[in-house]
Amino acid sequence: MHKQIKWGYALNQWKAGFTSFARLEEIERAFKVTAACGFDAVELNAGSGRWDPIGRPENIAINFGSSQHFRLKLKDWGIHRVASTFFDPTVMSFEELHFGLMSTQPADHPRILAQARIHAELLSELNGDCLVVRPFPSWWKEGGLTPERIAAAADCWNAVGAMTAALGLRTVLHVDALSALRTAEELERLMSLCDEDNVGLCFDTAELTIAGHDVVALYRRFHERVWHFQFKDALAVDTLDEYKLQNAERALIAAGGERQVQRWFGEMGTGLVDFPALLAAMRELGYAGWIIVESDKGPAPIATGMMLNSWYRQHVLDRSAD
Amino acid sequence: MITNKQTNKLRWAYMDHWRIDTPQGQLSQYTSVQRFDDFLKQVAALGFEAIETFDFHLGPLRELFGSLENARAFMQSRGIDRVLSLFHAVMYDERQSAPHVRATHDHIVNYAEYIMRSSQGLGVENFIVMPAGLYYDVEPVTDDKIRACAELWNRVGEMTQKYGVKTCCHHEFFCGIRTAEQLRKFYEWTDPRYVFFYCDTAQHVIAGVDPVDLYLKLADRCGGFHMKDTLHVDLTGDYRRKPDAEVMAPTTPRWFHEMGVPGGLVDFPALMAAMKDRGYEGWVGVEHDKADVGGGNYPESTALSAWYIQHVLKKIYA
Repeated sequence: MHKQIKWGYALNQWKAGFTSFARLEEIERAFKVTAACGFDAVELNAGSGRWDPIGRPENIAINFGSSQHFRLKLKDWGIHRVASTFFDPTVMSFEELHFGLMSTQPADHPRILAQARIHAELLSELNGDCLVVRPFPSWWKEGGLTPERIAAAADCWNAVGAMTAALGLRTVLHVDALSALRTAEELERLMSLCDEDNVGLCFDTAELTIAGHDVVALYRRFHERVWHFQFKDALAVDTLDEYKLQNAERALIAAGGERQVQRWFGEMGTGLVDFPALLAAMRELGYAGWIIVESDKGPAPIATGMMLNSWYRQHVLDRSAD
Repeated sequence: MITNKQTNKLRWAYMDHWRIDTPQGQLSQYTSVQRFDDFLKQVAALGFEAIETFDFHLGPLRELFGSLENARAFMQSRGIDRVLSLFHAVMYDERQSAPHVRATHDHIVNYAEYIMRSSQGLGVENFIVMPAGLYYDVEPVTDDKIRACAELWNRVGEMTQKYGVKTCCHHEFFCGIRTAEQLRKFYEWTDPRYVFFYCDTAQHVIAGVDPVDLYLKLADRCGGFHMKDTLHVDLTGDYRRKPDAEVMAPTTPRWFHEMGVPGGLVDFPALMAAMKDRGYEGWVGVEHDKADVGGGNYPESTALSAWYIQHVLKKIYA
C-alpha cells in the first residue's frame, strides 16, 4: 500500500433525514462501525440545526464538553484522526440565518468566509487537514458559468484558502454532478485563478463520473492540484443533461430523471469507476493525501455499504499494491 | 477490523441469522449468489474467518454453487475459510424426535448421520444441537429424562467423530436442560470424549446461569462459543411460555444483542480472562439472533461486535 495515502470514511451516509443521527448513541455506533470496518479516520460534515450534534462546534461543545474531549472520545471509539470537513455554503443554515450562499455572488463572500471559518477552526482544533467545499451552486440556479462568476468564485475560495492556511489547513474544491461547473476547461480556468498553495481540488469519483468525466484522465490532467479524494462508485451517467432540471437535487438525484434511475451512488466496484486504474495513477503520480470513502444515498442498512467498501479496499485495492 | 495473525490463539466465526432487505422485503441471503456474496464480504471485511449456519442451508448452498466444495471455494475467495459449525435445526416432537424419549433416538441418530454425510466439503468442525426439547415439552425435567438425553448425544457424538465433527450441546434458555443443576447432571452423564459444551453466553444469563462459572466448570470439554449479550434475565417464567418462549415473550421483544451493548449483562471480559487462564485455543463464535427486532439490523450489530472484539476483548486475550 502506498505509504502516503491515508484512508478515512465519511459520515454523511448516516444522516438520512433531519432527525436521524441525532442521538448520541447513534453517533457512537456509527463511529464504532467505521472503526470496525478498518477506517480510523473520518470526514465530518458541516451541518446545521439542533438535530446535528456533531455538525457544529457549539453542538460538539454541548454534547462532548469541548473539541478536545470529542477528540479523546473518538480515540476511545477507534477513530484516531479527523481528516477533513465537508462544507457546502449553498445549504441553508439555521445558525447563520440564510437559505444558501452563492460563491458566484461577491455580496455573499463575507458570510461564506465567516461560516467557513467556524468549521475550519474546529477542524484545526481536531488536527484535521482539509476543508472540502462545494465551489459552485447547482447549474439550475444561475445557469452556466461566465468568466465573471468563475472569477467571483475564485476570489471567494482564495479568501477561504488564506483563512484555512493560517489555521494549518488547506481548502479543496469538490465539484459535484449538478455543479454549474461542467467542463475540464472551466476547471482549468478556475484553478488558474486560485492560489496554488492554498486552494486545491477534491475529486469525488462518483460525482465526476455522473457528470460525464473520465476520472482517471481528469486526474492525470489536474493531479498537481488534487489534494483530496472521495471514493464512491457511480451507477449511471447523466446522459440526458438533466443536471439542468429545475431543482435537479430532487428531479434528477432523488427521483432519477426521465430514466428513473433508482440509485446513483454505489459501493466501490459495483459501477463505472475504475478504482484500480485510478489508484495506480495516484501512486504513479505520488498522491499523498486522504481517500475518504463515501456511501451516501444508499439503501439501509447503512453498515452494509460500509462493510462492502471495507471488503473491496482490503481484497481488491490493497492487494493491487502488492 | 479484527486483524488475524498466525500467533493468535483465537479465530473468530460468525453465526449467521441474517436477512437481507430487498425490493421484495426481507429475504434470506441464500436466495442468490449475489446476496450470499454480499453477505460473505460484509462478514469477512470485519475480520471473521468462518461462518456458522443452520443445516437447512446445505441444500441451498448446493443449489447455488453446484456442490459444497464449490461453495467453500467461493467462500474462501471472499475471505471466509469454512462453515465452522452446523446448527442442527430440528423441531423436536415426542412422537418421532425428542431427546428425552428413548424410542425416538434411532430416528435422531439416523438424521444426524444424514447431515454428516450431506455436509462433506464445507470444512465443518462442529455439529451444534439443542440437547433437549422445549422446556414445556419436557417438563417435569426428571433425572431419567436427562439421562435419556445424555445417552442420545453420546451415541450421536460418537457417530459424528467418525466424520471429524464434534457434537456440541447448546442450551437455549427455554431448553429442557437449563438450570445449573440440570446442566451439571447432563455433563456428568455424558461422555467427555463425545459430547462437548457450546457456551452461548446470553442464553445462560437469561436462564439465570453464569456463563463464566459454567465455562470454568466445563472448560475441558468446551467446543466453542456463541458470544452474544442480553439485557434481560427471565424472571417470570417465559422459558415455559407456549407456544414460544423467545419471539413471543412478554418480557421483551428482543432478548439478544451484540456484545458490548450498553447495559448488557454478560461479563465478556471475565469470560475472556477465564478462557486465557484455561488456555482455550481455537474458534470463537459471535451471534446476535433477531438483531433486526425493534429497528436494529444485522450488519450494524455484526460490525459493533467486531469493534468490541478488536477494542475490548483482544486486549484481554487474543
